[in-house]
Amino acid sequence: MTTPLVVFDRVEKRFENFVAVKPTSFEIAAGEFLAIMGPSGCGKTTTLRMLAGLEAPTAGEIRFEGRVMNNVKPHERDMPLVWQSLALFPFLNARENVEFGLKMRGVDSATRKKKALEWLDRLGIGQFAERNVAKLSGGQRQRVALARSLVTEPKILLLDEPLSALDAHLVIRMQSVLTKLQKELGITFVYVTHSQSEAFAMADRVVIMSHGEIAQIGKAKDIYRAPSDKFVAEFVGRNNIFEGKVLKSTPANTVVATPLGAFSVPTGTKGTFKADDPLSFVVAADLVQISAQRPSEDNIVECQVISEQFMGTTVTLFLEAKDGSELKVQVGQRELEGIDFKGSKKLFASWPVSRAHVLARQ
Amino acid sequence: MPLLIWQVLFFVVPLGFMFVMSFWLVKDYRMTPAFALDNWLKILTWGIFWRAYGYTLALATAAMALASLFAFPASYTLAFKASDAARRWALFFLIIPFFTSYLVRVYAWQVVLAGNGIISAILGFVGLGPLSLLNTPIGTLVGYLTLTFPLVLILQTISLSSIDKNLIEAAHNLGCGPLRTIFAVIIPAAKVGLIVAALFCFILSFGDFVSPYYLGGSKPPTLSIMIIDSTKSGQQWPRAAVIAVMMIISLLTVAFASVTAAYRRRG
Repeated sequence: MTTPLVVFDRVEKRFENFVAVKPTSFEIAAGEFLAIMGPSGCGKTTTLRMLAGLEAPTAGEIRFEGRVMNNVKPHERDMPLVWQSLALFPFLNARENVEFGLKMRGVDSATRKKKALEWLDRLGIGQFAERNVAKLSGGQRQRVALARSLVTEPKILLLDEPLSALDAHLVIRMQSVLTKLQKELGITFVYVTHSQSEAFAMADRVVIMSHGEIAQIGKAKDIYRAPSDKFVAEFVGRNNIFEGKVLKSTPANTVVATPLGAFSVPTGTKGTFKADDPLSFVVAADLVQISAQRPSEDNIVECQVISEQFMGTTVTLFLEAKDGSELKVQVGQRELEGIDFKGSKKLFASWPVSRAHVLARQ
Repeated sequence: MPLLIWQVLFFVVPLGFMFVMSFWLVKDYRMTPAFALDNWLKILTWGIFWRAYGYTLALATAAMALASLFAFPASYTLAFKASDAARRWALFFLIIPFFTSYLVRVYAWQVVLAGNGIISAILGFVGLGPLSLLNTPIGTLVGYLTLTFPLVLILQTISLSSIDKNLIEAAHNLGCGPLRTIFAVIIPAAKVGLIVAALFCFILSFGDFVSPYYLGGSKPPTLSIMIIDSTKSGQQWPRAAVIAVMMIISLLTVAFASVTAAYRRRG
């Protein structure tokens, strides 16, 4: 593996008595699109701000291209950040905003203007170059902010929830603008968000943070299919979490007793479990099958439909089992139409053993 | 509505009356209603008036520049470096000077600035004195600043405090050092507040008569001193009215130009 662009080496951030980020280590590869995701107050923004030099780490080392950055002032770094509020200068027009970083680097005014206009054109807002930023729409201002950050051709771009203030339809459009830009430029994006859909849609790798530490780091699909603990499983959503105790465990399968009954799960590569130990596992909503007749699977839950959430091609069913616990199942719209309930709302949810995932941290 | 009636009764009406009066004549120390341009011609062709006009303008401009310049480091510190509690206390203490009469504070300065006062003594100690600053333009300026400095500082602090902190961080993030950020971001972002603060200082100084009278010794006279002199000697109320109208026109022009400049935006 090539040397990483950014290294967080046991970086910690404390504000007086409050620990914002516990000692945290991770690496960011050059050209990677990394999303840092988590609920409010999980330390994701503080992590990003430490990278930009806007907060000083209390302990540990941040390295950029091998160089220790702890004592490098923010204005001496080339790590532009796109703010949630965009932080465009209201006293400058769109072009002058984009020129700002070049002006600070002593680029002459003709070159500055040429480059700024190039970037505004590239982002499709060339015709608004001389317009006051207050008179631009949310999406247009977003593009000005991006152009302003990219005009110096940095190796890394930091984004702090840049899309959270936009309308839903604009968010989808800006997501594709961002991923396309990142691929074309080949630079590293570090993207902080609380939105799972944004992170999963765009990022090569996702860091999930909780209470100032990394809960899981990996590819979106791996995190979705194999969450490391209950927090991640709940945070990424659309997971059914079962908590119980080990009944018996063989190298192939382990049987878990839960309030809903006994279920078989794959034992995994780490060896068998001790009987009576607590064990939790998840089954993703889209991996659960439903049928009107009792199927021949190992893991079956008999339940009733409480509500349906229509999402276009898929439908999320909220089911209630006999003991009152809730199950989420995501099925195709056409598939659901094909099931004959014969008037009752009763059905069977089931899944093959291999689709259950045992949480690594119990 | 009541406010509007109040304004009309006690501001517009007297102003109108003063304007009318500027065309009256004084015969045998008594004013007679007339429509004569005599007063206007007399004042506007009078070299002493224009000299006083230039002097008043220069002093008020100097007070505005000095107050704005001296207040800025303090307001910058209060807005960006001080804790919230420190800023609250500072603003509270800056309001206290307004509890005492301006006249009293100016009298206090007489003692400090006089030939046997403390400043003279200090200047004497370093070999520059004794030097009385009383009855000099510097005395007048000290008085103007006494009147306006706390107000300028308060207005500047409020306008700097309301700058979006993200703008300052964004400037650093885009390669702008702390000192340069003051000129490239902070001053432009707080422009309206800074101009209004300076404007208040100019208006209050331009029309003030206490400082030029008690600290400047009335010589050379400012416009406000000329107004008093005109009314005292020979009952020349119409001429005083001409001077007052000229002052109001000047202030309106300056105020209008400043506010226009403050809100001027491109694009």
